[in-house]
Amino acid sequence: MSIKLFELLLQASIYTVTISVVSILIGFAIAILLSGMLLSGRGLFVRPAQIFISFFRGVPLLVQLLLIYNLLPGIGINVPSIVAAIIGLSLCTAAYQAENLRGGFASVPLGLVESAEMVGLTPRQTFRRIKVPIALRLTFPALVNEAILILKASSLVSVVGIVELTRMAQDLAGSTFLPLQLFASAGLIYLVINWLVALAGGLIESRLPGVPR
Amino acid sequence: MTFDINVIIGQWPAIVSGAGVTIMIWILGTIAAAIIGFLMAVARQYGGMLVDKALGAIVAVLRGTPFLIQIFLVYYGGPFVGLDLDPLPAGLIGISIYGAAYFSEIFRSGFQAVPKGHIEAGECVGLTRGQIVWRILLPEMTMLVLPPSVNMVVILMKETAVLSIITVPELTATLSAIGSQQYAFVEALSALALFYWVLVEVTGWLGNLAETKLSRFRFFNA
Amino acid sequence: MSVPAIAVSNLVKTFGETTVLHGIDLIIEPGQVSCLIGPSGSGKSTLLRCMAFLEEATRGTIAINGEVLGFTEDSQGRRERISAAANRAIRAQIGMVFQQFNLWPHMTALGNVSEALKTVHKMSRKAAEDAAMAQLVKVGLEARAGHYPSQLSGGQQQRVAIARALALKPKIMLFDEPTSSLDPELTGEVLNVMRDLAAEGMTMVVVSHEIGFAATVGQQIIFLDHGKVLFTGPPQEVFKKPRNPRLEQFLDTYLDRGASMLL
Repeated sequence: MSIKLFELLLQASIYTVTISVVSILIGFAIAILLSGMLLSGRGLFVRPAQIFISFFRGVPLLVQLLLIYNLLPGIGINVPSIVAAIIGLSLCTAAYQAENLRGGFASVPLGLVESAEMVGLTPRQTFRRIKVPIALRLTFPALVNEAILILKASSLVSVVGIVELTRMAQDLAGSTFLPLQLFASAGLIYLVINWLVALAGGLIESRLPGVPR
Repeated sequence: MTFDINVIIGQWPAIVSGAGVTIMIWILGTIAAAIIGFLMAVARQYGGMLVDKALGAIVAVLRGTPFLIQIFLVYYGGPFVGLDLDPLPAGLIGISIYGAAYFSEIFRSGFQAVPKGHIEAGECVGLTRGQIVWRILLPEMTMLVLPPSVNMVVILMKETAVLSIITVPELTATLSAIGSQQYAFVEALSALALFYWVLVEVTGWLGNLAETKLSRFRFFNA
Repeated sequence: MSVPAIAVSNLVKTFGETTVLHGIDLIIEPGQVSCLIGPSGSGKSTLLRCMAFLEEATRGTIAINGEVLGFTEDSQGRRERISAAANRAIRAQIGMVFQQFNLWPHMTALGNVSEALKTVHKMSRKAAEDAAMAQLVKVGLEARAGHYPSQLSGGQQQRVAIARALALKPKIMLFDEPTSSLDPELTGEVLNVMRDLAAEGMTMVVVSHEIGFAATVGQQIIFLDHGKVLFTGPPQEVFKKPRNPRLEQFLDTYLDRGASMLL
């Protein structure tokens, strides 16, 4: 397989990474909103958040992408397919990240909250100064994991016509009849990207002061 | 925009067939994945360092690459190494191998999480290797691997949808086709989403039930 | 007649079906060091946590320097919850040290001690850190001010925890098994800090298995068994022979842990 083909794959992988990063960030923002709704304790907020999370974790990503891609024009929203793809990925990762955050908050040791109470911090202050920093640190590994999952899941946006890494490999395989080499190369590129993300995640995690033992 | 569900309901034979394929691949694939994964975990635990490293590399590759790429490799690349498969068998193999990688990690963690002390206690009171495995190791492992396994079962069910891309006639492919034929995308896709959603919720609920029933094997408070 | 630092009146605490405290009556005088001793499960920690309002009593009242904490109860047993703000004001007089230290892992020792000064008392960063540093000097850990809890030994963490509580100038210090999570050779450094604190006249209530400490530093020994106060009194009275058989039974397990002076 020629170098030229590999270069094309690499160029396409930039789309993969970009789409993934944007989706993860938007997803994180939405996840914070969802977590807030879940933690609020008020039925008005908790139920819709639970339904959202249940739906986006229960339905395959492919189906979600197809739904959004076909639904938006139906209700009069016409966006480029890349936007539809990012919306789809973001909503999906938001649901998983919200669950991770929920787990992180639940894992904050009760004693740390009690000691905050005893030195006079109000519940709001405790939330801001103690619970949030610790929950985020506890959630970090899951966040890195989710990033890797999204990078892999981005391969599905090929079905709505985005030419990211998988689609490029598909197209090239169709014209060169070298599917083994092309898909193996694409797989290799995914592997390297994921490995780098895991590495970066590990490095950052070791720099974060204090995960509760 | 109108929403006419009858357009879909009219096609119910095709839908049932598609759903049947989905469920069949799901169940067969999951069972195959669990068995292969278990054997891999055993091999890694007791097969020596070389086997462990080799299988470890394979697992890393399977978990680090998208499922779609793996499927494409099997279906489109297969013929080039003498493996000319129809979509359905290719999909089944793909799900089994993908799932096996994840199950092997789940079982491997399970093996290592059973406290050594429990095994040693068994040896001290004179149990044979076989008895230790059957009466101590496996029961304790079951509790440990149950939640991630239920999770995996759900994940594999959702991954079957991806097989529609290589034209396996499962439910996503079937309903998408109906949707485009009848110009009723929204209805078709909504029905599709609902099907998976319900199935996932039910599976999760059953999993919780199983966890509660088996909780007497728990040796720690979770 | 002085107001008691802590007045516990007919305190009952149930968890679901189980009653842990069966009507406790206790007086803790200002400046007094009280040690709560008793077998595991006797309710000592629960009683202490009720004093701190970390647990809500089912019946009975607790008064801190004359002010009722948590719930008021009238003669008919009707209870009324006190506002959160009022509770916080009353609890400001209490400092608590936990068995698990409960230092916040994402802050340094200095950060832990100065946190409440900055956030609650709105002190400037410099003022808060100076005040915090003074406390760390007091417990002998000024050299470790910039360390994170994960970099400190158990004994050091507990001393930071004590400094954190002291930084808020409490009138009463509660200790819930402060040395139970420590390796034996580290308990000494914590007990020394507590000894110094007692010598300065701090009102202290200590739940602990360190009978030696209770016998030498304690001024009031409270023996709790199955949720009831069996008896209280100064150490000379409580520990002198002939002893209450339950106490004798309990002490039998502790003679080799520094309480041999009781023989």
